[in-house]
Amino acid sequence: MKNIKWVNILLSVCSIGIFVVLWVVLSGQEGSMVPTPAATLEKFLQIMADPIANATLPAHIWASLQRVLIAFFFAVVLGVALGIGIGWSKGFNALFGPLFEMLRPIPPIAWIPVIILWFGIGELSKWVIVFIGSFVPIVLNTSAGIRAIDPLMISAGKVLGANRKQLLVDVAFPATIPAILAGIRTALSSGWMCVVAAEMIVARQGVGFLIVRGQESGDTALIVVCMLAIGVVSFLLSTILQKMEGVLCPWQFSETKL
Amino acid sequence: MAVLRDKIVIKNLSKTFASKKNSVEVLKDINLTVKENEFLVILGPGQCGKTVLLNILAELDEQTSGTVEFADGRPKMGDLGLVFQRYALFPWKSVMGNVEMNQKLKGVDKATRQANAQKYIDLVGLQGFEKALPKQLSGGMKQRVGIARAYASESDIMLMDEPFGALDAQTRYSMEDEILKIWEKNKRTVIFVTNNVEEAIYLGDRIILLGGHPTSVKKEYIPEMPRPRNYTDQAFLRLRNEIVADTDLSL
Repeated sequence: MKNIKWVNILLSVCSIGIFVVLWVVLSGQEGSMVPTPAATLEKFLQIMADPIANATLPAHIWASLQRVLIAFFFAVVLGVALGIGIGWSKGFNALFGPLFEMLRPIPPIAWIPVIILWFGIGELSKWVIVFIGSFVPIVLNTSAGIRAIDPLMISAGKVLGANRKQLLVDVAFPATIPAILAGIRTALSSGWMCVVAAEMIVARQGVGFLIVRGQESGDTALIVVCMLAIGVVSFLLSTILQKMEGVLCPWQFSETKL
Repeated sequence: MAVLRDKIVIKNLSKTFASKKNSVEVLKDINLTVKENEFLVILGPGQCGKTVLLNILAELDEQTSGTVEFADGRPKMGDLGLVFQRYALFPWKSVMGNVEMNQKLKGVDKATRQANAQKYIDLVGLQGFEKALPKQLSGGMKQRVGIARAYASESDIMLMDEPFGALDAQTRYSMEDEILKIWEKNKRTVIFVTNNVEEAIYLGDRIILLGGHPTSVKKEYIPEMPRPRNYTDQAFLRLRNEIVADTDLSL
């Protein structure tokens, strides 16, 4: 068993090693459009300290992150509420279900032009785009989670004397928390994608703006640094959420044994 | 033994499940009287509608015809104890959280309901596990929580739907002893449903055998053996053979 583990580690190291070698070879050519690893690192250190458009890299990342978090907050509150409504009540589903199903397939990025026309190029339009991107997966997961509750849980709740409201608050809602958290995880990565896309079209700050600035000035090192930064932030967000899942619903995610 | 009064009287109870295409008659003319504080076992092959019968008693389902009369009036939802085969514990609640749930839903204050729940946690021998989550418990322990939770409703009627059906054989034997001990300590009217003949003879004051299509009451047996009963006792084996001979084989 131990040997297999070492072989697997070796395989991982190999693939990353080949990637780096390819990178070095490709970027070493005359007139290459690929920045060398050294140039990329240098760029990274430079924009950590020297501002571009009045902001260093962390400031740009924070600008994007702030937009995501604000819009995400509203998406969670309204998305969970709508999802529970659609999943729990037939009347509510009849009222909002078809409308939601009709608008849902439109990719959030396709909303960008019309959102900019309606809400301008300020912060509000970014919030709205991120909201659309993260609202949909939360509603979907929440309503699917409510519908997928084991009927046995509902029977147990009824036998224990829960009225309809208690059945929702004390039984159905906690039973749905794992599904809601799964939706939140999808929503956050979708929201992060949306903010980058929105910033690439119009913004004066943010990683999306920075990546376009790199394109306009032919600064490939800047583009690559931004791409890596976007990836790292996305990874950190999902890691943090995963840790939170263990805290918020230990009955589902944590491995504690007696 | 003193003459026990009738606790639940079931008359001509029938249940038909109707769908668009066809209707299936599951229970037909069930007539059954449950005595106060007896340990009544309802024995029947798998899929014969035993659970449907309990669900009707617990108001999770409704009969198509016939009546169910409770001597002290039909218990409200939440005033009847039901133990489920698949435990049906709330996985997000601790042992304490599950056992106090009934009284919490009824709005009993925290100190009172937890003291009450503690009494039943102690009764089923789970003291020390109050804070454990169901997934940290073994099957036998989970069902102890299920029993404590049903008892904590303070109902004088306990419905048990194949409560030990999901347990391994060894745990099952010890839980059978356990449930008798609990019942001796805290007498209530128990309706215990099972498909296991030995379990029925081991536990029951009276055994009602269900059978036929649709299901009705086939026969009644009274195991005249003192407890604890012995699985290898002559009388036990004789009754076992008698019941097996009367049982429909169903696959």
